[in-house]
Amino acid sequence: MMLLPCPWCGPRNAGEFKYAGEGGARPDPATTTPEEWRRYLYFHANTRGWVTESWYHGAGCRRWLVVERHTLTHEVRGVRDAVQVAREGTR
Amino acid sequence: MSETTAAAVARSPIAASPATVLDGWEVSARAATGASTLSDETPLAKVLVRAPFDGASRKALGVRFGRTEHTDVGSGEVLLVGSAPGEWLTLGAPGTAPALRTALEERLAGTGEFTSVLDLTHGRALMRLQGPAATTVLAGVCAIDLADTVTPDGTALRTSVAAVVTDVVRDDVSGVRSYLLHCERSSGQYLWDALLDAGSRSAVEVTGFRGLGSAGSAR
Repeated sequence: MMLLPCPWCGPRNAGEFKYAGEGGARPDPATTTPEEWRRYLYFHANTRGWVTESWYHGAGCRRWLVVERHTLTHEVRGVRDAVQVAREGTR
Repeated sequence: MSETTAAAVARSPIAASPATVLDGWEVSARAATGASTLSDETPLAKVLVRAPFDGASRKALGVRFGRTEHTDVGSGEVLLVGSAPGEWLTLGAPGTAPALRTALEERLAGTGEFTSVLDLTHGRALMRLQGPAATTVLAGVCAIDLADTVTPDGTALRTSVAAVVTDVVRDDVSGVRSYLLHCERSSGQYLWDALLDAGSRSAVEVTGFRGLGSAGSAR
């Protein structure tokens, strides 16, 4: 069982969350080409190591979270509320 | 020929057998004799408040995320639950939802924040698991640590209970351990059956509607 330390609810079973993929800056819709949109939506780096990801705690606080997870060991070293991250512009 | 109109009876998603009518709701007429019981509390008024989690609305409501309080917001005794960040669930006596909604709107009107107050009474299911076996039964269907040190009386949380997203509210009654379980109406009968199944070895019995049993005290 994998535990994710939700900043609102505490450690919870990963089954309570929905994995929403690798995080990253959303392209500007006004200037992005269809090819860039396709790459943003469907292509992933699939890194073996530390990755910043988006998770949704659907069975808990119903907040979007930014999770730093090691894809090899599943170690988690940071979980923050996505709203807070967006406000600070630190993603 | 005279025309008569029968009074409308509201029904919980949880089938009541044998049934009786209380405050316009069809409820179970059973009266359990055992110590551990499961009761359908769906007739309680359920009003949801959404507002910024850390602003004036939170101060006006007086309850933070993860905690509960028995209070009176102007419509009689209610249980105010901080069910999620920026989300409060208010439970009141059957039939008080319109008054409760108005009272909450008046209380939040002066905050200057964008808030919403919604009556969910007929859209949700609510049940109470009470008695010495309540912890054992609940532990069988959810992964939360239910020890007093982690989830004491007055704790509110949302988690997966028997794979159903459920608000779990610890609301002890006269010192007896008691949990209110609140979920979507469409999952109500399933969650009820899952709890009865989990409680079959602990002699959990079905009993009739209890209502808000605790004496009012802030926690």
